[in-house]
Order: sequence, then C-alpha cells, then structure tokens
Amino acid sequence: MAITQAICTSFKVELMGGQHDFRTGADAMKVALYTSSATLGPTTTDYSATNEVAGTAYVAGGAALTQVTPISSGTTAFTDFADVTWAASTITARGAIIYNTETDGGSGTTEAIAVLDFGGDKISTAGDFTITFPAADASNAILRIA
Amino acid sequence: MELPKTPIVKVMTTSGRGATVDEIADRCVKNMIHIADSAHPEVSRQAREFEKQILAMLKVYLTQAAAGERTTIYNVLLNAGQHELAEMIRKL
Repeated sequence: MAITQAICTSFKVELMGGQHDFRTGADAMKVALYTSSATLGPTTTDYSATNEVAGTAYVAGGAALTQVTPISSGTTAFTDFADVTWAASTITARGAIIYNTETDGGSGTTEAIAVLDFGGDKISTAGDFTITFPAADASNAILRIA
Repeated sequence: MELPKTPIVKVMTTSGRGATVDEIADRCVKNMIHIADSAHPEVSRQAREFEKQILAMLKVYLTQAAAGERTTIYNVLLNAGQHELAEMIRKL
C-alpha cells in the first residue's frame, strides 16, 4: 500500500484523444482524498471509493475543483486549480486523486488525472483542511507540458 | 508532463478553529504575485513592496468579510430565537 505521486498514464492517452478540457467552466473536475491504506500511482486510471477518506464534512467523491484556463509562458503550457478547503472538517488524509467527472468524447466519469502524495498524514480536527496548489507558472504549476 | 516524487501541493490544516485572516491572506497573495528568482533586483524590490501593500489590503477586506459573515449568522440565529447562540457569535 503506497501513494506514489504521478500524472496518470491513462490521462496522457486520454489527453491526446481530446477527452479533457481544462478551460474554466469546461469539464467538471474533482479532488478526492485517500488514507494511507490506498494504493495509488501512475497506473491509477479512475477515481475509486476504496480507501477514500471518511470524516466530518467530507462527502464521498471529494470536492469540486475550479480550473484556471491554461496559458503558456515561453514554450511551456500550464494550468492550475484554485485552492480547495473542507471547512469545519475532521479528516485524516495521506494523498489525493484529481479526476474528471465528464470526459469529453469518452464514456467514463471518473477518469484519473493525477495522484498527489501529501508526504504524510494530514489531519484536521473540527477545523479546515486546505490543499494549496503550487504557483501557476511554467516551472511550478500542477500540470505542465514543456 | 511528470510530477516530482516529493509532495507538490501544500496541505494546511487546523484543529478546533478555522483558518485565520492572516493565513488566508498569505495564501492568497502567494497565488496573486510570483517574483522570479531571476528578476532584476530593482524589479524584485518593487514587486515585494507591492506584495506587502496587497497583503495589508487583503487582510483589511478579509476581516470585513469575516465580520459580515458573522453578522449574517448572528441574524439567522436571532431570527430563529437562538439569542444566546447569537450573542456567542457576535462576541467572536
């Protein structure tokens, strides 16, 4: 059981098939949280409820993400998501999956995009649990194509 | 198109309280202003000064937003006949 941070290989294929639209207001994407018991990594293809977090203020399937329309800097294209918070929550999570709930041209609604490793259990107790995405630039953005 | 093996997102948690205005303002300003390590020193200095001003302004308005939200909650509780709870919210 381990969470290995990665861009999902299936996502790379789907991207080439035009099945993901990251523009603001386009595809509805979500982030789901997982416990340290989860096995996630580059071979993860879909959101799954197995070993998903259960806790106060956390709804199965995770939280909606707000996309920032992709732009470029130099020769690198990148996109970003707004930070997401589970308020007044009691949560213990070790990692997360970003996934697309409406794959364009595809049949699924759970296609995984990326697996995130938090580096250790992160715990909120009757408090806020916030994921802050990295700076939206060509060197740091969460999703980049160089 | 790869991610590093080390954590790329930051996770901030609180226990027994919500995030403070200062914590949210810090996160916000880091999303708004990025200063490249390679920036000219004078440009970098001006950008950091600008960052400080934006941070101060964000704190003022976030504080007002929090106060406004508390007033709304206060009135919801008051209208529901929960006077003691309303007072607790008002005194936060």
